[in-house]
Amino acid sequence: MLRESKLYRVLRYVFLIAACLFVIIPIIPLVFMAFKTGAEYSTTDVLTPPNNWFNTYNFRYAIRVGRLPQALLNTAIILGVSLSIQVLFTTMVSYVLHRFEFRGKKIIYGLFTLTMFIPVVTTQTVVFQIVYRLKLVNKMPSVILLYSGVGIVGIYIMLNLLSSISKELDESALIDGANYFRIYRSIILPLLKPACTTLVILNGIAYYNDFYIPNLYLNKDVQTFTVALYEFFGNMATPFEIVSAAILLGIVPIGIAYLFLQKYIFYGLSGAVKS
Amino acid sequence: MKKTKSSKILIITFLVIPVLHLLIFSYIPIISNVYLSFTDYRGTGVPKWVGLRNYRRLLTDPQYIMIFKNCLWYMVVAIPQLIFAFVLAVFVNGKFRGLNLFKSILIIPYLLNGVIVSTIFIIFFNNSGTLNTILEAIGLTGLKRQWLQSLKLVNPSIASISIWRYYGMNFIMFFGGLQTVPAELYEAAAVDGCSKWKEIRYISIPSIRNILFINILLSISGSIQVFEIPYIMMNGSNGTVTPVIQIQQSAFSDNRVGFAAALSIMVFIIVVIAVGLQSIVNKRGEEDFA
Repeated sequence: MLRESKLYRVLRYVFLIAACLFVIIPIIPLVFMAFKTGAEYSTTDVLTPPNNWFNTYNFRYAIRVGRLPQALLNTAIILGVSLSIQVLFTTMVSYVLHRFEFRGKKIIYGLFTLTMFIPVVTTQTVVFQIVYRLKLVNKMPSVILLYSGVGIVGIYIMLNLLSSISKELDESALIDGANYFRIYRSIILPLLKPACTTLVILNGIAYYNDFYIPNLYLNKDVQTFTVALYEFFGNMATPFEIVSAAILLGIVPIGIAYLFLQKYIFYGLSGAVKS
Repeated sequence: MKKTKSSKILIITFLVIPVLHLLIFSYIPIISNVYLSFTDYRGTGVPKWVGLRNYRRLLTDPQYIMIFKNCLWYMVVAIPQLIFAFVLAVFVNGKFRGLNLFKSILIIPYLLNGVIVSTIFIIFFNNSGTLNTILEAIGLTGLKRQWLQSLKLVNPSIASISIWRYYGMNFIMFFGGLQTVPAELYEAAAVDGCSKWKEIRYISIPSIRNILFINILLSISGSIQVFEIPYIMMNGSNGTVTPVIQIQQSAFSDNRVGFAAALSIMVFIIVVIAVGLQSIVNKRGEEDFA
């Protein structure tokens, strides 16, 4: 990458600007619509900006009718609980798989690996019956339970980091009289923090955006943010400028998270890919 | 590490819950699904064995053949999607003014959920929506269509949304791959007077061949699992049903659990093939952790 010809540099900018337009153009009408009044919505075309950029009526209406704050809280609870459980268990499983030799280890590792072949959508006919028998349908614990499982991607990310943590560290602690749990708790867990961050970001985005599971297991009274937005969308009686406002509000939480976590997200994602 | 009693206790306590979770929510369901797919189970009562009837219906009834045909559109759009993502990754791989701004904008679609994307593209494809408005503005009125009403256009239209929605993931993977190419390789090429185009052709492309192949397979297993966009935008109407929409419909609305199980198993088989090939490719780069 020492010398890039002028032509190449020009081409790069042309292409990247075109790509950005490709990303942004479909979003623009949504933003415009959220600020339009009902009358404006029906008389102007989608690419006409709103008259008044300070018209917050649609947003206030959306928040009041859609119970969005409650849904956002539900999502926060589901994400908080399930990601904590998942990350904790992932570190535990990875620690055991990396640092110990025991009978059946290959089988256990194989079991986790082979879940790659079992997409969630192919098991819900039966899983739903299990959750139903546990009397968890329409309750938040159903989704939390399904989200808390240890996934192979998480294990890969942890193992990757574990192989760079020297085993001598464990051994010297052992000689000093620490037991295995203590080693896990005071040496391994703190050192696994970056991998935990990656996992939280990866699955945090995935679960925040997930529609399939909460739509299947929760009803109107307990709703995640994504499905609450869908309720809006599916309700034909709601004027579309209100729907747009609700959807735009839906981008806000992820937008804020993105601003703060930008660096981690990009490198977390490409790091996960590499491992 | 030495095997002691305390290590045994730790191994068991650390593994028992995750492994149970795995068995209960992945393995037992997929195995029961295999069994249920040969029955007429309706969610209650005792399943009655019907042999291959469910599978025969799926493979002969035009109504169900259509849902697999719909998936083909999602595989087709993966081609421009991957090309776009690759070109983008090549251009972004370097140092130049505005790099971070471009990256921030380009990653936006990846962060939006299915409901948001669906709303954006309802507005986009509506009769007086973004696409038709733009076509009219640039004088191509003749190209205006009823994108979502036309039986011919609806599937390619909504499938093409995948390009917008998912190219970011491919882009990140390609970008990650390009970053692992040692800088010396490019420097050596530069010393030899190699042009940028040759550099891309002979260094960039070969170095991410595996990642490219993995992305193709990911697209295949993703295409067979399409659910959100056609479900949210169209509710499966107008001939936009996909296998997963059909599974949901059969299992939870029509109580045809046996039939839904058979369809699940067919999706499962396709995913097994795609992911199986993918892990063979992956194997080369996999680390030995044991």
